[in-house]
Parts: sequence; structure tokens; C-alpha cells
Amino acid sequence: MTDLWNKPEITRREFFDKCSEVGAQTFVFGGLFLTTAKLRLPQETALSASQEKKAEQAIYGFVVDTTKCIGCGSCVRACKAENNVPDGFNRTWVEQYTFFPNGEVIVNSPLGGENGFPDNLPERNMPKELEQLPVRGFFVPKLCNHCIDTPCIQVCPVGASFVTKEGVVLIDNEHCVGCGYCVQACPFGSRFLNPDTKCADKCTWCYHRITKGLMPACVQYCPAKARIFGNVSDPLSEISQILATNRVQVLKSYLGTRPRTRYIGLDSEVI
Amino acid sequence: MNHFVTEGYVLPNQMHIYWTTMIVLYPYITGIVAGAFIISSLHHVFDRHELEPVSRFAMIMAFAFLLFATLPLMAHLGHPERAFNMMFTPNPTSAMAGFGFIYTAYLVLLAVEIWLLYRADFVFLAENAKWPVMRRLYWLLALGVMDVSPEAKALDRKVMIFLASIGIPAACGLHGYVGFIFGAIKANPWWASPLMPVIFLLSAIVSGVAMVLVCYLTVQWVKKREINGPCAYALIESAWYFLIIDVTLELLELLNRAYMANDDWQILKALITTKLFTSFFIIQILLGSMIPFFLFGSVVVLKDRMAAGTRNAIGLVGGVLLLMQVAAMRWNVVMGGQMFSKSFRGFLNFDVEIWGREGLVVAGLVFSLPFITMLVISQILPLWGGIDTFPKKFMKDVEPPRRTLKGYSKFG
Amino acid sequence: MEHARHFVRLLALIAIAVIGFLGVRAKVVPKDFGLTGHFRQSAIPEIAAREPRHLGSAACGDCHDKEYTAWKAGKHSVPQCENCHGPGLMHVKVMSEDSTDKYPDRIKKNPKALRVLSGIQECKWCHLKTFERPSTLKSIANVEQHIVSKGGKFTPLSKCIDCHNPHTTVVK
Repeated sequence: MTDLWNKPEITRREFFDKCSEVGAQTFVFGGLFLTTAKLRLPQETALSASQEKKAEQAIYGFVVDTTKCIGCGSCVRACKAENNVPDGFNRTWVEQYTFFPNGEVIVNSPLGGENGFPDNLPERNMPKELEQLPVRGFFVPKLCNHCIDTPCIQVCPVGASFVTKEGVVLIDNEHCVGCGYCVQACPFGSRFLNPDTKCADKCTWCYHRITKGLMPACVQYCPAKARIFGNVSDPLSEISQILATNRVQVLKSYLGTRPRTRYIGLDSEVI
Repeated sequence: MNHFVTEGYVLPNQMHIYWTTMIVLYPYITGIVAGAFIISSLHHVFDRHELEPVSRFAMIMAFAFLLFATLPLMAHLGHPERAFNMMFTPNPTSAMAGFGFIYTAYLVLLAVEIWLLYRADFVFLAENAKWPVMRRLYWLLALGVMDVSPEAKALDRKVMIFLASIGIPAACGLHGYVGFIFGAIKANPWWASPLMPVIFLLSAIVSGVAMVLVCYLTVQWVKKREINGPCAYALIESAWYFLIIDVTLELLELLNRAYMANDDWQILKALITTKLFTSFFIIQILLGSMIPFFLFGSVVVLKDRMAAGTRNAIGLVGGVLLLMQVAAMRWNVVMGGQMFSKSFRGFLNFDVEIWGREGLVVAGLVFSLPFITMLVISQILPLWGGIDTFPKKFMKDVEPPRRTLKGYSKFG
Repeated sequence: MEHARHFVRLLALIAIAVIGFLGVRAKVVPKDFGLTGHFRQSAIPEIAAREPRHLGSAACGDCHDKEYTAWKAGKHSVPQCENCHGPGLMHVKVMSEDSTDKYPDRIKKNPKALRVLSGIQECKWCHLKTFERPSTLKSIANVEQHIVSKGGKFTPLSKCIDCHNPHTTVVK
């Protein structure tokens, strides 16, 4: 390169040749760098080496049994208190489904279920023609599904959304720029922009608790045992037993995000 | 905490609209850039000589708008101080991560193009500008090289044509990736579509051409200068053709959704017939597309049989309508996609913020900055012609090289 | 090339900018970014290190032995202490200090640093009869009717705990 620049006359061809040579090298190495991004080493966990050996790579899973949920909202309150969730947003919430004789379905979730659910039909602000007795109803707790093929990690421009080796999807509050793309990309509405941290926020399956051998707050404080959390790669765990003996569904399976959170007792009206 | 009035069931985390005025403004600005660049390239690369009177201006306009394209994004980010994370640690699977690099590359490309376009003028003004500080400025802009020999100019021309040709796919990338940001989100049925990048790009070109047209007509009218007939006609004609393709694709997308009637169609139908009725059917389709279609169509069909005054008036009115149409389109896509919940059972109303970081006042300020910049640039460089059109008061008493516009563009 | 000097200077400018960018990048990007994936590796232990705010009922029993034993033996042992009382971390911290001076205002206003209970609202969370709740759960539709039917006097200030021990549900 140096002797080329010391030449008194450099022809146009030589100039462009050198430039394209450098450009081509940049392109090749840049391309190699980008493609090897996918082949990186598997992620590490927060468990210590001995714990990890014992766990033999735990993979976590979650089951929501909607047949058991009584809509008390304990999970929502526990989560809000445990994780400092700001007012107006929810890391987890409970939906109430009420079916009427004319086939109409009313869904609501006052404050996400934080104060439980009111009973009186007029209190629910329903249209007058529906003040007939409902025929059936149930509650559906929802939270981040910690998908296997997450759309949220896919779209994060800076690498602030990531997944751990145990399958827990987390957000790095030091790196997030608060663009909100992941919030738009989540099909389940699990994410929000936290007005206090100005970063994206969502359920973390209480990562700070499960890595200490505790249950997530919503699981521990559900009085109806509607939420189950555990290691799905251990066939003797409670969650594995449940998955082996129940018909389970996921939300929006047609989108192909492959959620790790399964549901028992979903109805076709639950989207 | 903003409270949005909701109807039906809206998911708890969707009671808040996250992408607002700033995210509508950003594609609008980059769209104008793409369109203005296309006009300039039609002249430089495809030798459409009629566009000569506006080709320099279009390039400067593209640059002026591009300079401020990041502002709406910075006003939106939760952590604008970390904005460079997008360039330091870009996630290769994220379309948004492409922003930093595409934007920078395009900014450099435009800057170099303008530099090459004006280099001879820089050299001339480095000698002949009135004030020493301005002479220094021009010297710096010329990078201290005063070579304007025919060989240097020929080399400049070759590089310019090369840059203009890669500039067209680059402009497609600059705006196409914005469309992809929306079009690849399967979570939002109003956005998810493979046509989205194409639609965004085409409406971008429409808005850019319309902006060049409106600016040209306005400036010439204000300065009481003659409006070049073939140029105005060429701008109107280009806008018309791009409008046709753009609206065809937009309507095709909607028709396809309506016909297939997927699970999302019920809520989308309710969305566009109630919440977006005015902004979509009245503003975007009727006022913004149909009327300009007929107006500009009459100009194209009648051609020389139409009086120049009528044509210019139609150009101005139609151009403004088109600018409104593209703004409405961006609004309908960005806001419309957030005005219904992913529960498919409820809607939100959006009250436009006036003040505040992402409000209309800030949007207006950001949008006016490119125009102020162009005003400033017009004091430094001739925007609408060769160096001979530069105000004499900025120069010493020297006769500037007399070149016809035609000869100038050929660098001969 | 004699006539390309301006291009050489331009390319030099661009090269300086690129090198400057790479230099800033090397300084700013955390060293542990991208080690095991496209993220900052130390984010994982940082998130895991956060302190749990719910301590579990056994921790309550360490100080509140009487209530804990009664609750554990009674009919209301399904909901945990912190279900009604809220998370216990701040409570334990504040209670082990002599004064609340170093805490924010909201703690000073509520020195016990626990949820302020109403004695009726918390019960309604589970025991208010709604259509969607299973009938196996004991619930009442109307507080006034319930009190009157049990021979009590209803006032707007009536609470469930007027009659029911909240930890064991035993009627006084």
C-alpha cells in the first residue's frame, strides 16, 4: 500500500483497485463477524459452578391452571410489591371472562386485577342488554411467556433483551435505550416501558428469587395453586408431572413464538 | 400518568401508546430525503434535463432534512444518552439496529455528492468571496485543494455518477428498512405485511417529489422568478406516477386483508371504519390521493394544452395535498397500529400531545429546522442555479464564470 | 494521482472518523458484552442479586410466633402472611432500626412499613362472591346481608375482623 502512494503517478485503475481491495476485505471480515454472531457460545447462568453441575442445566417452565384461578389478584399485588412495578403497568395480570346467553363475551381486567374483581354486574360497566345472568365465566392469569423463539429479543436493536441458559428472558436496564421496539413486538402485551427507569420492563419469572431457590412471588402467593413454576428438564419435578398428565395450550401458538408458559383450561375466546 | 380512554378490553400494558408523534415524524422526514434524492438522481444519472433547475436544490433539501432525522428519535428514546448503543452493539437480527449505519452511510454519501456538485463553486468562492472569514470557510469546504482542471472535474463527475447510482439503492434502504421495522412485526396485524417496505418507500418518494415541487413553486413565486415549465411538468408527472403505484399498493394491501378476513380482520375493520375513518378515508384517500390523482392527471393528460398558471397552481395545491397524504399515511400506520389492543377486543383513543417532549410543538420545531438550514445554506451557496446566480453582494467585484445551466451539469 | 488529491483528503477524513468511532466504541462498550451472547454478561448476576422483598411466612414466625402458630394450625393457612400484610423486607429492616430517620417519607408516615390493612378489603379480594369464582370457595355476596343474617349490627364501618379472627377465621 505504501509504495503505491509514493508513486508520482497513480492511475485511476490502481486507485480504484486498491479501494475495492480494501472494501472487499472489509466486507468479507465484516460479514464473517456478523454471521459468527449466531454461533456464539451458549449463555451462562447465574448459578455457581457446583449448583450448575447439580442442576444439570435446568430449563424453567411455567404452567397457569386457569381452572383453579379465583381472581383474588394476590399474584398481581405480590408481583407489584416484589418488583416495584409502577402504577398503570403490570408484569402479570388477571383477565375475567364472562359469557352470556346470547353468545356475547365480556372480558375485563380492572387495574390488571390488582384489587380483585367487583361482583355487581352494573359495577362492571356492562351494556344494559347484558344485565342478564351470565352462563359461565373464569379467570385467566397472564404473564410473560418467556418464549423460545422470542420476537422481543429478535428486534431489540442494542442487545438489551436476552435469554439465559435456563430459558428466562431478561432485560438489561443498563444497556436498554428505551426505544420500545420490543414492546411493539411482543404479541401478548407482556412488555411495557417503565416510566421510572425509562427502560423496557416485563416479568422476569422473579429471576432474583428463583436463583436463590425461591418460587416467583406470584407462584408463592397464589392461594389457589393456579400457578406452577419449576424445572422442566427434571422429570420428577411438580411441573413435569403436571405437563405429563394434562392437556396444555399456549397463547397465540399460530405466531410460532413457542412460549415456555403453558396454560391449562384455555377457552377459544382467550386470545 | 396519561390516561387514555379505552373501549372494550385493552390489555393492561397497552393502556399507553408508546410510539407517538415523533415516530410518525421520523419516517416522514427520511421519506422526504429519499424522494428529493430520487429527483436529483433522475437528473444526474438518468439525464432528465428538465429537472435541472431543481436538481441542486433537491440535493441540498435531502441533506438538510437528513441532518435532523435523528432528532425525533432522540426525543423519543427513554435513554437518548445511550443512543449510540445502536451503533456500538447492534443486534444483527434487528432492523432498527440498521438505522445508525444506514443513516451515517447515507449522510456521508449525500455530503460527498453535494461536495462534488459544488466543489468548483467552493474553489471560485475561496478566491472571490467578499469576507475573509467566508473565504476561509470555502477553502475548508474545498478541503484545501484548488484543483479545478478538466481532469479533476471529469473525475468528480465520474464519482458523482457512481455515488448517485448507489445512492438510489441506498435511498431505498434508508426508507425501506423503516417499512421493514413495521412490516416484520407479526404481533401487530395492522403492520405485518411484506408490502410495508415497498409502500413506505413509494410514499416516501411521493412526499419528496411533492416537497421539491412545493418548495420550487413557492420560492420562485416569492422571489418573482420564472417557473421553468418543463421542470414543473416533470415534477408533477413524476409525482403522479409514483402516487399511482403507491396508492395502488396501499389499497391492494387493504383489499387483501379484507378479502382474506383473518382472525384480525374484525378488529381492523372496526378500526378503519370508526377510529381511523377521518384520517384514512377522508384525509389519506379522498383528499390526499383521489384529488391529487385527478388534478395531476389532468396536467399530464392535457400537457401543453394547459396554461402555465393553471399548471403551477395545480402543482402547488396538489403538492400540499400529497404532503398531507403521506403524513396521514404515516399517522394511520403508526398510531392506527396502536389504537387497537392485541386482545383484539378493544380500542384506545389518542389525544395528541401539544407540549411535552413528544408533542406537536416539538414536532413543529424539528420540522422547521431543515427549512432554516436551507435558508442558511442559501446564503453560502447558490441553491437554484450556477455560481452566476449567487447574489453579487457576497462576492468581490469579479465576474463569475458564466455558464449556462445545461453546460454546468455536463461539467463541460 | 495528481488530480485526485481532494479525494485522498476526503478519504482521509472519513478514515479518521471511522477510527475515532471505533476508538470510542472500544472505550464505551462494556468488556463483558457479547461473551456468551449478544448482551452484557454481567447483567445476569446483577439481576439475580436483587433482594427478594417477600420473605416467606416462616420468617414472620421468627418474631411473631403466637400469630404464626395460630395461623399455621388454623383454617386460614392457605394464604400466606404476606398475601394480606404485604412484603416483609422493609418491615424487618425498619423494625430492627431504632429510628426511621434514614428512610424516605413514605416509611416515616408508615413506620411499620407494612400494608395498611382495612380489615375488610383484603378479605373481599378472595371472599367476595363473583360469578366466575368456584362455588367451593366460601364467599359472601353482600356484607350487610351476611352480618344481619348472623344476628349482628351492620354499619358502614363494619369490618370482617369485627367478628372473624383474620389468622384463624374463628368467630369471636
